[in-house]
Amino acid sequence: MSVLVKEPEAIMQSVQGFSEDTVRAHSAARNEPAWMLEFRLDAWRQFETMPWPSANDEAWRRTRLTGFDIANFKPLAVSSGTVEKAELSRLLQEEINEMDSAASMVFEDSSLRYSVFHAKLSECGVIFADLQSAVREHPDLVQKYFMTKAVKPGLNKFTALHAALWDTGTFVYVPAKARVTLPLQVILNQVSDGVGGYHHTLVVTEEGAEVTVVDDLLGAKDGMQASVVELVIGNSSVVRYMNLQDFDHSAWNFLTGRAVLGRDADLRWIQVSWGSRLTKAFLDVDLQGTGGHAELLGIYFPIGHQHIDHQTLQIHRAPHCFSDLLFNGALKDKSRSVYMGVIQVFPGAQKTDAYQRNGNLILDATARADSIPGLEIQADDVRCTHAATAAQVEEEYVFYLMARGLSRAQAERMIVQGFFQAVLDRVPVESVVHKLERVIERKIGG
Amino acid sequence: MSVLEIRNLHATVEDREILKGVNLTLRSGEIHALMGPNGSGKSTLAYVIAGHPHYEITDGDILIDGESILEMEPDERTKAGVFLAFQYPVAVPGVSVANFLRTAVSNVRGYTTRPVEAEGRSGVIGSNLMPMREFRRELTDKMKEFNVDPSFARRYLNDGFSGGEKKRTEVLQMAMLEPKFGILDESDSGLDIDALRVVSDGINKLATPDRGFLLITHYQRILNYVKPNYVSIFYGGRVVMTGGPEVAHMLEEKGYGWVEREFGEAVAA
Repeated sequence: MSVLVKEPEAIMQSVQGFSEDTVRAHSAARNEPAWMLEFRLDAWRQFETMPWPSANDEAWRRTRLTGFDIANFKPLAVSSGTVEKAELSRLLQEEINEMDSAASMVFEDSSLRYSVFHAKLSECGVIFADLQSAVREHPDLVQKYFMTKAVKPGLNKFTALHAALWDTGTFVYVPAKARVTLPLQVILNQVSDGVGGYHHTLVVTEEGAEVTVVDDLLGAKDGMQASVVELVIGNSSVVRYMNLQDFDHSAWNFLTGRAVLGRDADLRWIQVSWGSRLTKAFLDVDLQGTGGHAELLGIYFPIGHQHIDHQTLQIHRAPHCFSDLLFNGALKDKSRSVYMGVIQVFPGAQKTDAYQRNGNLILDATARADSIPGLEIQADDVRCTHAATAAQVEEEYVFYLMARGLSRAQAERMIVQGFFQAVLDRVPVESVVHKLERVIERKIGG
Repeated sequence: MSVLEIRNLHATVEDREILKGVNLTLRSGEIHALMGPNGSGKSTLAYVIAGHPHYEITDGDILIDGESILEMEPDERTKAGVFLAFQYPVAVPGVSVANFLRTAVSNVRGYTTRPVEAEGRSGVIGSNLMPMREFRRELTDKMKEFNVDPSFARRYLNDGFSGGEKKRTEVLQMAMLEPKFGILDESDSGLDIDALRVVSDGINKLATPDRGFLLITHYQRILNYVKPNYVSIFYGGRVVMTGGPEVAHMLEEKGYGWVEREFGEAVAA
């Protein structure tokens, strides 16, 4: 094909609709190697053969895609090149300034917009790159790990779409024994209205490596985002991952994330779902090596007509693993939340220690929270507990605090904040905690 | 000098009358012990004074310095000078003692209603609270004075506290809020002798001439440490007898069975 005689922007401007041609044009515009084009085309074929989710699918029974039509979106945003920090929006500059990070990348629409790195990172052999460049510069590593170990393209309709059209993305590789003490910060801002976005996060750590990665997801007005998160965590490696989703309340958001843990690996995943019109998030931790430790912690706070759905899987394949899941959500107005979770213990995964808790604080009688916990246990020497609660603000708490001089509004705000505190206490980056507190404050007030 | 006056107070819960004409006057500088058997309505009286929404006042009044507080929300009563030390303080998950107490103290001392300083910080939550350093210093000092471990500042309110720790924290809160009237609802219940001593010491420290205490208790025990000016016997939803400390001694001698024989008929009538 000779498409490269055109400018990439021109190629993408001419793209219309979701089709194999769009996939080819997208790959060509990015000057991708043949293997990536093949990978995309294969995923596209899978996407085309898979049916759209229907109400008959257990996973989609409580989250209907009423009003969702992929034909309503432009398949891809047109990228507009990199800029200096000062040219970023004030909001993004503040986000970068507030976090004491080892490196930052900002993506806007379908490409890298800005990045800043500390030189020390590469001296230690750490790769923190935008995925588009990594495909060219680290083909062996990307080919080995990209959608092969954690999330495969055929997992669901949206992962197939993602694999065919992924646009922005981060590749993090931390070699054995390397420790990145400050967080790596990634901001995705889907600026254009009504477009599809497919953000990818691929984190690979080798034995004993340590890293913290923060994904900030913004924008996507009237658009769609089908993102994938893959954490491939080596033996005795420690990973802290935060996915902070604060999309526009008109966005359709589909996230599939999975962490694969080696022996004695240690993961803490913080999932924050503030934004979007509708979110369906599949989040799995897959404990493949003995002695793994996984924490999956989530908070959500839908208001208005927002619909937020988290579906989790704690997979215990190996013995002596620990997993702790806590999802706490508050709901206002006519919002809805769904939590579905399964702890899966394979035969032989003895001495499994697994917890799963979902708490819902219903602030308005018109809001609704569904919680469906589950256990599938095929080993006999395990400890697994699950619990789900849905409650209103305790009047006795309110009275107690008012009897100390707090107004009703102050008391309720404090109780709601307190409800999120069990997760906030475990967020390892201080600037993130402050940001989350501000959003909670705003959501309670507005 | 202030007066808390309860006049012919009647209160019901779910159409059942619990308080049946309570009359009681508490002045600054007084410690008034209110003793009565279980189920006599003592705790209801405490809740009603503090403004618990569960109870309906059907008759009578509660006044501070001649002004009725019945129409006030619980927080307004607290600002007017009433403090209820709970028999069973609730645990509020995720709300730290220091965080909530700073807001409480700021409200009661009027920081939150003062116009925000002209530094353009308007609208920032927390901008009109008592200054953090000033609050911290005072809290630390009072924690020391009232025998509360400094680590409690960061702990969640009553969450995982032992019975004694809860009661001590109630006294600490009272010391921070500096009320005109402390209503102590069985602050002695469930305490071992050491904890009782600590709580009693705290109450005695706070028993200044500008403050009155209503000390609600089932047992005479705490009165060995906190010396009341008046002792009233509460029975069947009202005060049936008031006297000096000798009333408590008589009660200990004769027991609540005597109260029932003496006043049972009168109350039933």
